[in-house]
Amino acid sequence: MEDAMGIAVLQVGIPLALLLLGYFVGGAVERRHYASIQERELRWRSLPAVNFRTVPGGWIVDDATLVLGNVVISVDYFKRFLAGLRMLFGGRVKVYESLMDRARREALVRLKVETVERGYHALVNVRMETSQLASGRGGSGVAGIEVLAYGTALKLRTPPT
Amino acid sequence: MHSFGVPSWRDHDLTFDPSLPTEGINVSRVHPLREALILVFGVIGVTVATVASIGFVVDWVAPSIPPKYEVYLFSDWFEAEEPAAAPKPRAEALRAVLDRVSVHWPDSEYRFRVQIWDQAEPNALALPGGTIAVTEGLLDAVTSENELAFVLGHELGHFHNRDHLRGLGRGVGMSLVLFAVGIGGGGGAAQLAAIAGQLTQRGFDRDQESAADEFGLGLVAAEYGHTAGASDLFEHLRATSDASALASYLSTHPLHGDRVIRLEAVARAAGWPLTGERSALGSKLEAPSDPSSETEPAADPVSTE
Repeated sequence: MEDAMGIAVLQVGIPLALLLLGYFVGGAVERRHYASIQERELRWRSLPAVNFRTVPGGWIVDDATLVLGNVVISVDYFKRFLAGLRMLFGGRVKVYESLMDRARREALVRLKVETVERGYHALVNVRMETSQLASGRGGSGVAGIEVLAYGTALKLRTPPT
Repeated sequence: MHSFGVPSWRDHDLTFDPSLPTEGINVSRVHPLREALILVFGVIGVTVATVASIGFVVDWVAPSIPPKYEVYLFSDWFEAEEPAAAPKPRAEALRAVLDRVSVHWPDSEYRFRVQIWDQAEPNALALPGGTIAVTEGLLDAVTSENELAFVLGHELGHFHNRDHLRGLGRGVGMSLVLFAVGIGGGGGAAQLAAIAGQLTQRGFDRDQESAADEFGLGLVAAEYGHTAGASDLFEHLRATSDASALASYLSTHPLHGDRVIRLEAVARAAGWPLTGERSALGSKLEAPSDPSSETEPAADPVSTE
């Protein structure tokens, strides 16, 4: 009887603890990340970042270089658990949407920071790539997602004032 | 804010107007707990329905499998690894008690065998193929032949109701369900389904135990003319185990105290006398009085066949 109780406590207790950890800690981490993203988006909003492949006419470009913004974000147990259940029934994996949204926006903000810190003034030909990092040896399980934003940074003859 | 003068983008006249991303388009505004509630109850519902359906189908199919075929399938599953040259006296005496009880189930198609397992936990099992396993701990715990006879009668009841096959079938069904959920939804989903499925199985398990109790009590009453002593074991066990509400919920067997009460009610309803003289165990079955012989490593499980 005590063995059965012990097993039941392990079987229920450990996943429950992980779920609570994921929900509360993962939730707090996500809220803080969103606050940080919004603050930096506001700070760098005036730096042009467009996906045009060519330099706008009228701009005199002194220098151009490749810049990268990259981020990896992991999934908490709560999100992973819900996504697993969702995989049984199908439908929108709503808990992963915020994960992707954070990763894309964080990558773009980092791209802009990289551009500014290297003394460039504008970004064209901005592209994004997403990949999933596997945790298992057989390539199973999601360790996290990576978003890479890259583009061509331009140094302008008459920088924006 | 800086300006680019009049940026003309090739053929178009565009002005650079920096704006922030709009919130709430790429992320669904649904509370994660609401999402969790819907999904968790969905998985629990599907699992309970599937496991229960498998249970009903197995209960319907198992009784129609002929015991002879079952014996053919499982006869070598629980053989003693080394056939004992001379059966131990305890196993012989146990066999004698089994024979006394099993004569009251004359149309049984099984050829029963007994095994004594060297485990301290008091327990008895009905194994597919007609083998009854009794632990040393149980033999040490019983105080009268009637008590032991009821335990054996209870196991015979499992054979009579084909519970060992039903349990096996449900186990296989449950494994398949968990396997499927694991493939579809990963480890977390499988764990949730395992908990829901196990609690569903509890209902089946307990119904079986009660039915086996009734069958065993009938055999005891037929052999001894009364049912005294049948529930003694549960009284002993109850004295040594604490039974909380949670324990009761998780246990496969009904609680000891509940079984005592139920057995009395069954005996009363059937008109079997509740009191009578208990038969002595006999020296061969009694717990060894010398403590040193208990620690001595026992041989492999003994088959008396």
